[in-house]
Amino acid sequence: MANLVVAVFEILSFGAIVVLVVLGLGVIASMMGIFNFAQGEFVLLGAYVTYLAYSLGLPVWLGMVAAPFVVGALGFVLERLIVRRFYAAPIVAMLGTYALGLIIREVVRTLIGGLYRSVPEPIAGSLDVGTMHFSSWRLAIVIITALVMVGSYLLLSHTTFGLRIRASLENPSLARASGISTSAIYGATFAFGAALAGLAGALIVPVFSLFADLGIRFLIQGFVAVMVGGVGSFAGPVAGAGVIGTLSAALPWVISPVVADVLVFVLAIAFIKFRPQGLVSGKGV
Amino acid sequence: MSKQNSNWSRRRFLGNFAFASTALATGVGSWVVSPDWANAAEAPIKVGIATDLTGPIGYAGNADANVAKMVVKEINDAGGLLGRPLELFIEDTASNESVAVGNVRKLIQRDKVDLVLGGITSSMRNAIKDVIVARGKTLYIYPQLYEGKECTPYLFCTGPTPAQQCDEFIPWLIKNGGKRFALPSANYVWPHTLNVYARKVIEASGGEVIFEEYYPLDQIDFSSTVNRVISNKVDVVFNTVIPPGVGPFFKQLSEAGFLKNGGRLSCVYYDENTLNINQPAEIEGLASCLDYFKALVPEDPASAKIQAAYDKQFPGTFLFAAGSAATGTYRGLKLWEAAVKEAGKLDRDAVAAAFDHAKIAEGPGGPAEMVPGQRHCKMKMYTAVAKGGNYEILARSAGLVDPKEC
Repeated sequence: MANLVVAVFEILSFGAIVVLVVLGLGVIASMMGIFNFAQGEFVLLGAYVTYLAYSLGLPVWLGMVAAPFVVGALGFVLERLIVRRFYAAPIVAMLGTYALGLIIREVVRTLIGGLYRSVPEPIAGSLDVGTMHFSSWRLAIVIITALVMVGSYLLLSHTTFGLRIRASLENPSLARASGISTSAIYGATFAFGAALAGLAGALIVPVFSLFADLGIRFLIQGFVAVMVGGVGSFAGPVAGAGVIGTLSAALPWVISPVVADVLVFVLAIAFIKFRPQGLVSGKGV
Repeated sequence: MSKQNSNWSRRRFLGNFAFASTALATGVGSWVVSPDWANAAEAPIKVGIATDLTGPIGYAGNADANVAKMVVKEINDAGGLLGRPLELFIEDTASNESVAVGNVRKLIQRDKVDLVLGGITSSMRNAIKDVIVARGKTLYIYPQLYEGKECTPYLFCTGPTPAQQCDEFIPWLIKNGGKRFALPSANYVWPHTLNVYARKVIEASGGEVIFEEYYPLDQIDFSSTVNRVISNKVDVVFNTVIPPGVGPFFKQLSEAGFLKNGGRLSCVYYDENTLNINQPAEIEGLASCLDYFKALVPEDPASAKIQAAYDKQFPGTFLFAAGSAATGTYRGLKLWEAAVKEAGKLDRDAVAAAFDHAKIAEGPGGPAEMVPGQRHCKMKMYTAVAKGGNYEILARSAGLVDPKEC
């Protein structure tokens, strides 16, 4: 019984981590129709900002609070300078953002000397219930992920800003005719997606340590999650991430980890074959 | 970082400028370090280094290139080899086998080097060895700790083998940890081959292997593994999971109370570079067995001298550490120097024949000597344990440990 509770918690917490990482990717893919290959590197930058704050002697939580703002601001600048030139050509956008990601990754690699750097958790240790141990920070991640998810949902579904984003996605020309500056909205959406990635990076860096390839590790998983969940809505990618995250953490409990790794992708491909629109079809929130 | 930048001197600027201009002249990924004196009669001896200057293990490749620069400078300052200076050719293998083969070919065909030292991963060694040894007709030194079984003629290995890393270490682990072993491993050649050997030693020493399991190289969640370790009451985790997975794995183990309950972590590639992956408390008591640790400096004057020279010439992030092949590089070049001196010429067969029984009295961690006919190197081995973010040496091999290869 105790074993089962621990297993459920561990699987849930990894699922939450994947959801957190995919949120930003999903927002940009669904709300803008852009597959941002630099998303992993935004996660990496969030992690780096946190590490930087820590290495300067500042408290870790301060770095975590700063990370989404710093990465969001950078996302805004990159959208203005580069990404907006690609809206007409989604394939080129993939290559362009991939190049951006490559540049960010190698710069960070140089900055940290190609090594692994550990960052302590703001809430260290584990919660002990009888013989069971729960990592406090993983618990915190589960809670923060839930809050961010609800917050993002409310922002997109219940605010004027969210309405404008959805309007620009659904019918850009009508949105423009109604006096919505779609270019400003795209900039803000991209920055928002980048900020979510920055936050994800900041929160997961104590768990996985900082290293230059931190972002790529999640990128493929993230895109599979978006595909399984369905592009076009906010709920789709989140649901997809939940499924992929829990599946890839749960399968190694029952079968050989090497097989499990492949099986997640096989299951995802089979699922998409029979339900190409994904778990959640249609546009909207 | 800022401290280093403020130390810019004219000499250093000129040095770097010269370095940058040769990089431009020879193409991206190639560097030539020319001696500052020449022999009127004969051209310099050409030493080729092919290592991963860029890519995920760039930290190790850069350290190896630094060591090569240091040793070559030392030899040149002492009058060179056979009265000729050494010229160093460095090529980037870029952590990418197909790029590497092309660049190593440049060393062989364009630069016509007398020796190639390098390659860090086993897959890299396998990719470039044929280019160097068979088609290139050149000597090859492989400096990294590895899984053994490399018996190609003209290929000399100067890093530790499984026998050297296990024979004394595993009995120590049983005494200082317990009998129940778990072998969590990354799914590639080194862990597979090392585990076969480790299992034999564990069983011969009275221990037992509770489970041996392989994971994809990029797996970063180990909750099911941690659960197996805890619920099977494993005493010793003999880890061959590599970065990036190893950090989260050790963290999850410590959060699950493995260390608190007296469990012993062990990992034979852990050196000063990998200490930073986790918080010190998460790997407290982790045991490693290598040919050198920085902690040897107070007790071994020869190691202290090498470490001090390295730190003086290359302050910064690239550490002189055993797990990144830096010690094997040092040993390899010095053994080759001894072999060339004995042979009195650079002919491949003559140097190889002398290399076969070459010895050095001083090296990182102690003396080293080649085992005749094996093309592997006997060296001293040390067992160190992580304490508060540093290593403490707890056991030393009585003499030079046999590689037991070929």
